[in-house]
Amino acid sequence: MKRYAVLLWMTGLAAVSFAKVDLVTLPASESVQITIYESADLTLVRDSRPLTLRQGTNQLQFSWAGTLIDPTSLMLVPQKAADQVDITDLSYPPNTVNVGIWTLESRQAGRIPFEITYLTSGFRWRAFYAGILSENEKTMRLEGYVRVFNQSGEDYENAQVRLIVGQVHLLDEIAELARRTWPYGRPGEGVPGMMPQVQMERARLAFGAVKAMDEIAMTAKPKEIRKEGLSEYFLYTIEGTESIPNGWSKRLPSFQAEAVPVVNLYKFEEEMYGPSVIRYLYFFNDAEHHLGQTPIPGGSMKVYRTVSKEGHLTYEGGCEIKYIPVGQEAELNLGPAEDVLVKPKLMDYKTDNYRFDDRGNISGWDEIRTVVIEIKNSRPMPIRLEIKRNFPTPYWTLENRGDSEKVFEKVDLDTVKYTLSMPPQSARVIEYVLTTYHGVRQEDWTRQNQ
Amino acid sequence: MKQAIWFAAAAGLLFGTVGAQARTKLAALPQRESVDIRMDNADFTLIEEERILTLRKGLNQVDFAWQAVSIDPDSIRLTPLDHPNGVRILNVSFPPDEAALVWEIASDGDWAERVRISYLLDQIDRLTAYKAVADKDETKLDLTAYLIVRNFSGEPFDNARIRLDADSVFERDLADGQTRRLLWTQNRALPVTKVWTWDSALQPWDPEQLERQNIGIPVRYRLVNEKAAGLGRAALWPGKVRLFQDDGHDSTIFLGEDNLSFLPVGEKAELYIGDSRDIVVTQRKIKEEQINIRRNRREQIVLYDTEEVLTAKIENFKDSPAVLTLIERIPGQWEMKSCSLPYTRKDAETLEFEITLPARSGDKPAVVQLEMHYQRKNVRP
Repeated sequence: MKRYAVLLWMTGLAAVSFAKVDLVTLPASESVQITIYESADLTLVRDSRPLTLRQGTNQLQFSWAGTLIDPTSLMLVPQKAADQVDITDLSYPPNTVNVGIWTLESRQAGRIPFEITYLTSGFRWRAFYAGILSENEKTMRLEGYVRVFNQSGEDYENAQVRLIVGQVHLLDEIAELARRTWPYGRPGEGVPGMMPQVQMERARLAFGAVKAMDEIAMTAKPKEIRKEGLSEYFLYTIEGTESIPNGWSKRLPSFQAEAVPVVNLYKFEEEMYGPSVIRYLYFFNDAEHHLGQTPIPGGSMKVYRTVSKEGHLTYEGGCEIKYIPVGQEAELNLGPAEDVLVKPKLMDYKTDNYRFDDRGNISGWDEIRTVVIEIKNSRPMPIRLEIKRNFPTPYWTLENRGDSEKVFEKVDLDTVKYTLSMPPQSARVIEYVLTTYHGVRQEDWTRQNQ
Repeated sequence: MKQAIWFAAAAGLLFGTVGAQARTKLAALPQRESVDIRMDNADFTLIEEERILTLRKGLNQVDFAWQAVSIDPDSIRLTPLDHPNGVRILNVSFPPDEAALVWEIASDGDWAERVRISYLLDQIDRLTAYKAVADKDETKLDLTAYLIVRNFSGEPFDNARIRLDADSVFERDLADGQTRRLLWTQNRALPVTKVWTWDSALQPWDPEQLERQNIGIPVRYRLVNEKAAGLGRAALWPGKVRLFQDDGHDSTIFLGEDNLSFLPVGEKAELYIGDSRDIVVTQRKIKEEQINIRRNRREQIVLYDTEEVLTAKIENFKDSPAVLTLIERIPGQWEMKSCSLPYTRKDAETLEFEITLPARSGDKPAVVQLEMHYQRKNVRP
């Protein structure tokens, strides 16, 4: 049962005493569609109702006490016989909070379907994910879910639910508009008058009670979510209808992809992560990775690993993921990996090539550092590891010792990266000699490198 | 027994509603058939429980509530085990202001379905504690690991399988508010090395400067997580180690305690048991002068080297030999001119000497002398 009320009364008189209700009908909703945005507290509601009009002037009262509906967004649109009906005005009567009255001029009598649309706040949805890694951690089953929360003050029964991913630009927050005493404020009022927040009733209504047996048979499988791109948005439409009473939330599966290839990458960068090695998991949102049909909305992700034939799981870690467009790579930070050690050590430090100015003061010198990085993989599986080193100056030269050159790569003017593949339970050492140039020696460096 | 997490199943044909009505008219309250408490992750405990749900053909609604228990609702999963293709979860609804959810489940038949429910539960965790008993010679260690399971989650678990890794499973009851210490592993006669460490950056140099005070030299047992040492199968988890020593009279003495850090396979750990006063180190710098001085036009020094000599006298008053790890530090750029003992360069400024000290002879301590002559280079004032 809807909490807000649509009252219709018909009269041939233009002037109607609002306090005097002659005839009241409560036309049942034929269908409700709610479109919930992710990036703002904004939901578009379309409520279809057939109204029985008489020829002449009709008035329709709509009240929304206890809800978070933005009164300035209220629209009434005839779905049929539009040329026979003029919706001449919508009036917000004085001293009557949360009530609007539409005046309709109809040239014909009879039943005409209408759609009432408005924006409301109080709904939100978010995506979350579970990734279940195979035992060898090369693939995972990716399960996507959405959870829809209804704090709108209104119960929505058998509503088609659509979810929007994308940034929406708003001038006013819908929740603020919903709290105004006067829908459009008052003349001379810079800031809309604020009312205490609407106290939302928490009456819990049974839902799904009227679900018919044929519908049971029809919906006896997890719902599909249809996905489509619209402008800069992505629209997810949940199959069938959902009932979400005020105060309730609902979790729905959005997709499932099997055997998504993943890459485990371990990263070490002291300036970024401190002394720990951080484990990352990567996968592409593309067809090759059994995904790629739609962007993946941002949300929280939990990663488990299968540890037995009976399907028992172990929890590997969790993180927030950002919005992943089709074709882009997703990066999951699973936190520090204690079983992979990277230990850089400064093994030798010296200065050399001093230059002196006319006054005999030091004007330039070199610093030469020998660094050894001990690496140990004590995991029972092979790993790929990236070690980044940041230097305090762009004036440097590097000499790699041993086979360190094979895994070396310059990233930018003061950063280098070593990428290694480590077998299970293995250790290795990287060694390099870094020479940095200071004072006038920077000019010598520049000349040598031109 | 109080159960904070409870379950109710209502067949859709009988109770077509979810909400207050269905939640009080319980068709069945299936007990846990089994529960696994997975504690291999240090930060999160994963519960996997199996229950038998009586499902009717068609739609079923199943309540799962966790009053006074902290569960991450996003982590709750339900997996049908007997008919994975014939039982489908359609959606999950969360009632307002309640720690509960309602699954809507479609079933192709009238089945008593075994399902697995898993979730991450808060306020239930594990610690590791160790008891280590050294033999009288302090060359071997019996290391016993205990798993301490603390359940303050609000939820009791009967006959729970507490899982740590593939090899370690415990079956226990675990009441709410209960802490259980479980014997985990026992390793007998692990080889250990007793090490004394004197670090020039941490210990006072000259005991004569400290009237009537001993200088304690830290003593540690060194343990390697490797197969040769009887370990090496898995990392040792961090935890407090209480150390005892066999006193040779069928009893033990308490040596001390230390924290063991996470110890991966192949790594070594050192357990500090206290300070020794039977080894005395007296270190003095006997020379430090500037050489190769470079001045600017105004005769100010801009760069110089140093000539430095450092001596250390190490005395062992024990009636047994000992190995002392002596750590010296020379900052900046330096060059060793002569050194009376061999050393390992641990990093740019750290030198480590492993010095074998003989036992004392009669009333006289065994003495080893160290003399280091080195130059520091390119020092700026």
